Amino acid sequence: MSAILHIIEYDVRNFFRYKWWLVGLISMNLADLFIMAIVYNQMLSSDVMKEIGSYFNFFAPGLAVTGLFASAFMIGREVNMERRREVHHYMLSLPMTRMELAIGRVLSGGMRGMIYMSPLLLTCFIFLRFPTIWQLLVILAVLFLLAMGISGLSIAIAVSTSSLEKFITARGLVYYTLFFCSSVFYPLSLIEGLGKDGKFPMVLVTLAEVNPLSGASDMIRSFLLVGYPPFSYASILNVVVFSAVFTFSAAFAYIKIIERK
Amino acid sequence: MPPIIQIQNLTKKFGNLAAVDHLDLEIEEGEIFGLLGPNGAGKTTAILMLATVIKPTEGTALVGGFDIRKSPDKVRGLLGIAFQEPKMLWVATPWDVVNWHAKVCGLSTEERKRRVKQVLETVDMWEPRHKNVHALSGGMRKRVEMAKVLIQRPKIAIVDEPTTQIDVVGKHKIWNMLLELRDEGSTIILATNELYEADRLSDRVGIMHRGKLLVCDTPKTLKDSILGGDIIDIQLEKDASPTIVEELKSFKEVVDIMQVKPTNLRLYLNRVEEVVPQIMNLLMKKNVPVNSIRMSEPSLDDVFAHYTGLTIEEAQKDEG
Ligand SMILES: Nc1ncnc2c1ncn2[C@@H]1O[C@H](COP(=O)(O)OP(=O)(O)OP(=O)(O)O)[C@@H](O)[C@H]1O
Ligand SMILES: [Mg+2]
Repeated sequence: MSAILHIIEYDVRNFFRYKWWLVGLISMNLADLFIMAIVYNQMLSSDVMKEIGSYFNFFAPGLAVTGLFASAFMIGREVNMERRREVHHYMLSLPMTRMELAIGRVLSGGMRGMIYMSPLLLTCFIFLRFPTIWQLLVILAVLFLLAMGISGLSIAIAVSTSSLEKFITARGLVYYTLFFCSSVFYPLSLIEGLGKDGKFPMVLVTLAEVNPLSGASDMIRSFLLVGYPPFSYASILNVVVFSAVFTFSAAFAYIKIIERK
Repeated sequence: MPPIIQIQNLTKKFGNLAAVDHLDLEIEEGEIFGLLGPNGAGKTTAILMLATVIKPTEGTALVGGFDIRKSPDKVRGLLGIAFQEPKMLWVATPWDVVNWHAKVCGLSTEERKRRVKQVLETVDMWEPRHKNVHALSGGMRKRVEMAKVLIQRPKIAIVDEPTTQIDVVGKHKIWNMLLELRDEGSTIILATNELYEADRLSDRVGIMHRGKLLVCDTPKTLKDSILGGDIIDIQLEKDASPTIVEELKSFKEVVDIMQVKPTNLRLYLNRVEEVVPQIMNLLMKKNVPVNSIRMSEPSLDDVFAHYTGLTIEEAQKDEG
């Protein structure tokens, strides 16, 4: 157990070594939010605007999820780099079980995601509204599960790709598929509508519906936005399943693949 | 007491290459065991298997009674390793590296505070303790790597070429630390390709070549096993002709001759005092000018040469 804490300490400390870079990124994220809000409010059709009210309000929760994704995914980059520099030999020689090591890595990826996301989430609260304590707990719990799943996904990709380029390509693919087919940037109804009209492949529509990023963004919106469809447990279920699948597949991949060489 | 490490038939293949080839070896508790071999002999690969970092293709080893395949977690609890290539993140600092390592190895907060300072001072890394690893020189990184083992004081310490890249003063310091560590009760495996280092520190030496263990004994026994017991190096002005080599071989006291370079001959022989004048006479008579002649005691290099027919330098070139 204490071994897991040591691993988390190691990874979180490494995360903070890039603190000025992170501050820069967060500022950029926030700037994006304001700019996109201004631009999109002008560009979107009145039908869509009627549904979402203001793009700022709609996108702020989505942005928090975007930030969570990007930062929780960073652990994979480090795991990949460790492997190339053979620093993982050191990690593997430490007095702890492989399971402790793997779970520690996945957890720290998740925690780093939460740390990065908190200013973005706070921005939502300030500009939209503050949730109740109970809502806050649900939001944090669900987002943490999501962050673990993302962290796990990135580790699984990191240990199965040999070079940094391959890792980054894979990250790009995952990133665009998951964000494109989700309700992070636009409401699900928009994609569903396009699907019904035959303008968008139905597989991708389904993907958007079960996408945990959609579930998480819509959950925050249901708490913070007036007139948004109320919170449903079903949406959380996707997040839980995603998290469970990738946490364990990451742990498994990490243990299996990393010892191979 | 059973040996603390029993390596049985340990093999690691990378494709067709057997980096470690059916290795059998026993290491006694409390000794410094020198694992000596040229580049590519398989030392690091053997160590990584013992450390449960990579899996053997075949065979196994018992470390402190635990099988590296069946109870790797138990094995890791006994080991401390200073890797050949320092394994640390470039954004970390020496202080972080050593402090965190001590924490993971279970040192209490109080002990850690005291010992991190002490250990970093002994390896002369206290001053630059807050520098980033990427700003350190190669030798400094090696010192930090060594500090991890020193602070841990593991039951079994494995050090892989601990003094490469380290200056002479530093080398002597590290050698003394290793001897101290052994005197405090640790068993030490010292992988090295420096004969002097192995000779000076090891209670026993195993010589590896191409994944196999050639011999294993105390440095003294190994050196004594060299046929003849005396060595002379003759440097000629011109390349030695095969006939000269043959003639020298015909002395009954001369056991073996190695042509180290075209102009350099190394003779393994008995009763050196009597033979040298005869050799000189022969060379003069044959009109073979001699630049220098030097007598020496056998070293581990000679042991290596004796078992492989190659000098360490040649063996390294062979691999490279
Ligand atoms: N991961 C790997 N993949 C393929 N071949 C490898 C790998 N690791 C080692 N080898 C090969 O195995 C052989 C033994 O290597 P090893 O590193 O164990 O030698 P060594 O005795 O430690 O040498 P050195 O003194 O240079 O450190 C070499 O021929 C090396 O090329
Ligand atoms: Mg080596």
